Amino acid sequence: MKRLIAILTVGAALCLPVMAAGGEEGPVQNPIWLCIPFALLLLSIAVFPLVRPMWWESHQPLVVILCALLFLVPYSMLNGVGHAAELTAECIINDYLGFIVLLFGLFCVAGNITLVGDLAGSPRVNVALLLFGTMLSSWIGTTGASMLMVRPLIKMNSWRKRKRHIMIFFIFLIGNIGGCLTPIGDPPLLMGFARGVPFFWSLRLMPIMLLNAAVLLFAFYLVDKRAYRKDIAMGRKPDISKPGTDVHIDGAHNLLLLGVIVAAVILSGVMPTMPIFQDAQGNVLGLHIIGDVVLTVPTIIECAMILSAAWLSFRTTSVSVRKANHFTWGAIEEVAVLFVGIFITMQPALMLLKANGAKLGVDTPMEMFWATGALSSFLDNTPTYLVFLTTACAQGFTEGVVTSLGTVPVQMLTAISCGAVFMGANTYIGNAPNFMVKAISDENGIRMPSFFGYLLWSLAFLGPAFLLDALIFFR
Amino acid sequence: MNKNQDERIAVAGRIYDLDSEVCRILGTRLSRVFNGSRDATIRELAELMTTRTTGHLLRSELAMISNMARTIPEKEARAKVMTEYNEILHLVEKIPTSFGTVDILDENIAKLNAANLSGRFAEGNHFIVCIGRSYGSAGTDIGFALADKLKINYYDTEIFVEVMERLEAGQDELEDRASFAHHQNLNQNLGLERNRTIRQRIKEFNRYHGLPKEDAVFFNQSDLLRDMAQKEDFIVMGRCADVILSNLHIPHISIFINAPFELRARRVMSTDNLSYKEAVKLLHRLDRRHSHYYEYYTGREWGNSINYDLCINSASYGIDGSVELILRIINQHTNHNIGNQK
Repeated sequence: MKRLIAILTVGAALCLPVMAAGGEEGPVQNPIWLCIPFALLLLSIAVFPLVRPMWWESHQPLVVILCALLFLVPYSMLNGVGHAAELTAECIINDYLGFIVLLFGLFCVAGNITLVGDLAGSPRVNVALLLFGTMLSSWIGTTGASMLMVRPLIKMNSWRKRKRHIMIFFIFLIGNIGGCLTPIGDPPLLMGFARGVPFFWSLRLMPIMLLNAAVLLFAFYLVDKRAYRKDIAMGRKPDISKPGTDVHIDGAHNLLLLGVIVAAVILSGVMPTMPIFQDAQGNVLGLHIIGDVVLTVPTIIECAMILSAAWLSFRTTSVSVRKANHFTWGAIEEVAVLFVGIFITMQPALMLLKANGAKLGVDTPMEMFWATGALSSFLDNTPTYLVFLTTACAQGFTEGVVTSLGTVPVQMLTAISCGAVFMGANTYIGNAPNFMVKAISDENGIRMPSFFGYLLWSLAFLGPAFLLDALIFFR
Repeated sequence: MNKNQDERIAVAGRIYDLDSEVCRILGTRLSRVFNGSRDATIRELAELMTTRTTGHLLRSELAMISNMARTIPEKEARAKVMTEYNEILHLVEKIPTSFGTVDILDENIAKLNAANLSGRFAEGNHFIVCIGRSYGSAGTDIGFALADKLKINYYDTEIFVEVMERLEAGQDELEDRASFAHHQNLNQNLGLERNRTIRQRIKEFNRYHGLPKEDAVFFNQSDLLRDMAQKEDFIVMGRCADVILSNLHIPHISIFINAPFELRARRVMSTDNLSYKEAVKLLHRLDRRHSHYYEYYTGREWGNSINYDLCINSASYGIDGSVELILRIINQHTNHNIGNQK
């Protein structure tokens, strides 16, 4: 009942006017319809690939520009061109740049690592790989683990006809749930770390992660076994004519470069708090772009490290490895184009959340879990996490985890972290790896479900798992 | 109508070749849409084109090839492939039963006797008989006698031995789950060995390509049967051979031999020197096991008459009578010479 009330509250809040920083005159109220371009973009991503796939492929940038303009033009008229430019710069410099550079770096480095061998994808091998990837996600990031493991998994299962479910559970587990144990795993936790949550605090989420992994892997095994048997029954079989398996990794030195990227991510969370990167007022040093927007030195260092790793990876790896991986720029291009639009058009929804987050009346772990999760499914989970962390910290608790935002009870922080990390798996746009895995799968002979089709898979498998989490851990 | 079918086969061939060509240019098998054999894939694609209800599947298969094709870096090669893709798309749209606009079913597909025995074997096809049987129904004796009459090879556990050689595995490491070799059945261990060391497990994992070993054996049996079918006439007992050959579109005759449970139990009592209780227990166990084996690998019901060309109650005819009956069917209803060799 409480959960229902929380969701209704969030829903009601969405009907409130959007608040934007209005400069000297104070906050300006923006109309709710500014969120429409975001909804339109999501609808386009969901519908066009189904009804006009060819058209969509060649016109994605146009649709993105159109949706961005549909938001920016009225926003400029309401708040002035200066504010609109600042908002866009803020969104691109502070949010999108780090996101896409990290994705690009991991995409390049992982694309230069290939698993050579004739291992055949079977339910037990797939379960083992998904489990391994889930465990890996927290240590090299959900995006890193996804990029590293997506191709080997596709390759092993290439003999099979029914394999989309493998990639769907891959997104659930490796792309999202597995990333909850450390701040490296998922950006929201990194933000928490940057605000004083201890680095290893997230290891407390281990029992919840293990429960989810167990439930989902069990469900996956049943689904995969069924599909595997159907494939065999229709005469599909892997090529195992050679006795014995020769499995090895080509481009293994790229694992070191992957380490460099992970280090860059950790540094991006640590550096802003170091005095060397701060001026006398405690502001993070950087290049002034426009208004209050600053491209900070830590961000520049992070991007430089990641891009250098990507460049080195290309310089030191044979083209044959990329050929074997069917490495193309298609997937990253698609994500780069769509997400710039998503980042810009979701701003009014985020402003709304920031302005009304504290008024939502969400104050129990159960409500925090569902509210953070529901919004993280569609919005960027990092700001969503921060809004709810700030809301929780503002409630005046005296016991719990001490952060720079205030003190938050352990169970409340657990609920916010789990909601933000786990429920990013609910939609293709919930977390960065989701769409990348979809795009790479689409390019490699796997017919992935549509936006809504994926949503149904989430409801069917993640819904019960999250319900279990809520009942066991957040009641 | 035949013209339509020929058109479909031709277009399906072009689709398969286009997929191969794209993968050849890209230098990877990772993005291959069709991983099955050429013949089987072409048949599958032609079937997809048969009715509009499956048209969307064909459309997404084509879309996946075009996804790949668009990633070809060389402009000229990409243009060539895309031209072929567009031509194929155009052809597919023109086929009335594909995802085009007219909804016409191929009448041949609806014919009950489309795959009847009289027209099953083409010139050059080998004569293959697949016999499934329940234990105690004398199926093995019938199969052996039939092979003797037809003067063709008879295979049962020999296939398993050959597969073990292919897998470089010792026979004692694995049981022949598809066999009725008696001693094994009496002492069979239905579960996997539980006390293996990690080293043994890794060795097995490596040997069987990460597959459960029973599955690895089954896949190798499939390959072996395919190879044998290209070389000789033979009779094969069990091993889901009927379904394996059907999936490979290799013509064969499938027979299931059964007998009433009581009579099978009596036969087992005398041949295996068992008490009635032991015989009943053994039969129940074997029936369950073989039913599970057949269903697991074929998705079909073991012993269900719709899965076979001929089902025989051996108790009604005896061993010789059953052999005569099968020979008569072969002589009168198949178009293969082998039946006339008697």
